[in-house]
Amino acid sequence: MAAPPEQLWFLWDPFILYVILVLLAPDVFYLVSWLIAPRRSSRVKKMAFESGQAPIRSALSSFPVEYFPYVIIYVAYAVIAILIFVSLVAIVETGVTPSLLLLLALATVASFYASSQLKEVAGRRG
Amino acid sequence: MIEQLAQLLASAPEPIRTLLGWIFSDAFIKAAVFPGALFSTILGMFAVWYERKLLARVMLRVGPLHVGKVSGVLQLIADAVKFLSKERITPSSAIRPLFWTMPSAALLLSLLLFAFLPFGAGWIIYPSEIGLLLFFAVIAVSPIPILLAAYASGSKYPFIGLTRMALQLFGYEIPLFLALAGVVLMAGSFDIQKIVEAQARAPFILPQMIGFVVFFTAALAETERVPFDIPTAEGEIVFGWQTEYSGAHFVVFQLAMYEKILALCVLGSLLYLGGWYGPPLPFVPDTISAPFWVIVKSLVLFTLMVLVRGAYPRLSIDRVLDLGWRYLIPLALLNLLITGVIVYLSGVLA
Repeated sequence: MAAPPEQLWFLWDPFILYVILVLLAPDVFYLVSWLIAPRRSSRVKKMAFESGQAPIRSALSSFPVEYFPYVIIYVAYAVIAILIFVSLVAIVETGVTPSLLLLLALATVASFYASSQLKEVAGRRG
Repeated sequence: MIEQLAQLLASAPEPIRTLLGWIFSDAFIKAAVFPGALFSTILGMFAVWYERKLLARVMLRVGPLHVGKVSGVLQLIADAVKFLSKERITPSSAIRPLFWTMPSAALLLSLLLFAFLPFGAGWIIYPSEIGLLLFFAVIAVSPIPILLAAYASGSKYPFIGLTRMALQLFGYEIPLFLALAGVVLMAGSFDIQKIVEAQARAPFILPQMIGFVVFFTAALAETERVPFDIPTAEGEIVFGWQTEYSGAHFVVFQLAMYEKILALCVLGSLLYLGGWYGPPLPFVPDTISAPFWVIVKSLVLFTLMVLVRGAYPRLSIDRVLDLGWRYLIPLALLNLLITGVIVYLSGVLA
């Protein structure tokens, strides 16, 4: 087998080569489309789709605020999830201890309690 | 014959020899053929055909039939040609650079997932000690091109799809994360190859049934499959965040979505169903039977996803959020606790 040339070493690295191929993949579709698809633009075609209506006002409407509590909960849970995942790195080294199980049990019970209460917190049915 | 070929090759000039060496090198075969670009694209196209066919059976139809001699196998090629021959329309209200680049970005992130998935011992593009973390990192950023695409469309239906998608994806990332944590705890490694090797005796689905259910449900929601397809609900908001995309852009987005689904199916088969461990096939070497079992198990998971799509109606948005936050997260933590107890007890007994 021939040795890789100096400047083209990256072609002998599977991951870099894969990323290059993946970057080229959509361009194949675009190239074919550019060759065979028609290009006849018109004002009506370029309107944003609104079920046949001419677009009314800006597209950026308001966010449904009744689900806002979930966003707050997400911030809390994201921290806990990352904490668990990061501590796994240490646990893989040291092994599971009883105190860790206690902490996990606490988190489980707390999450069950929280989920039983969340119905009222979100207040979207009232 | 082979000797003659070898002689011919030895007498060929230097650039051609290097090129041939490159084509038969480990890097090219892994990146371009298996499990890289060619394989993942073909798997994606097969999945679309398979889903249409199976879904039709569930609904007592026949599905694609006429294009191609057997069961409409060429229907997809016909569809692709049709899509590619359609005009790519950019709405005048769109943010052009974002609108044009986001389909490629989505496809890049979806296909990148396959780089971290081993299809057998050594059949992996990017072997890493933290393969599962890398996979999760890519999954976690993969909604961003979609959100940007919806925002860049500058149209109302994509914007409604965007808000729905943001609520849904943020809710289901954490259960997915916690379900994977159980697997890592049990295998004692972030390396997907080591996780599979830890399942040599029994697949992880047995001790972690709850974790598997959480993973599967979260994977359905992450990839917007029915019954979690509220961001692209065709009956309500046209096609959600994809409404303004046409022609080649649409094809690229669809392919990106299917690759993400398949990557999650392959991950599920590796983490819970025992990966490449299966009954030995007669006269087939290990290097071929390993990818075979991974693909078969992934397709079993994909079949399950299609059957779920055939059987259940779309959930409303408050049900989706309830399921994610109020049921899956506590269940994922419970699974983690059970896993911790099992690992602790097996350590004490041993």
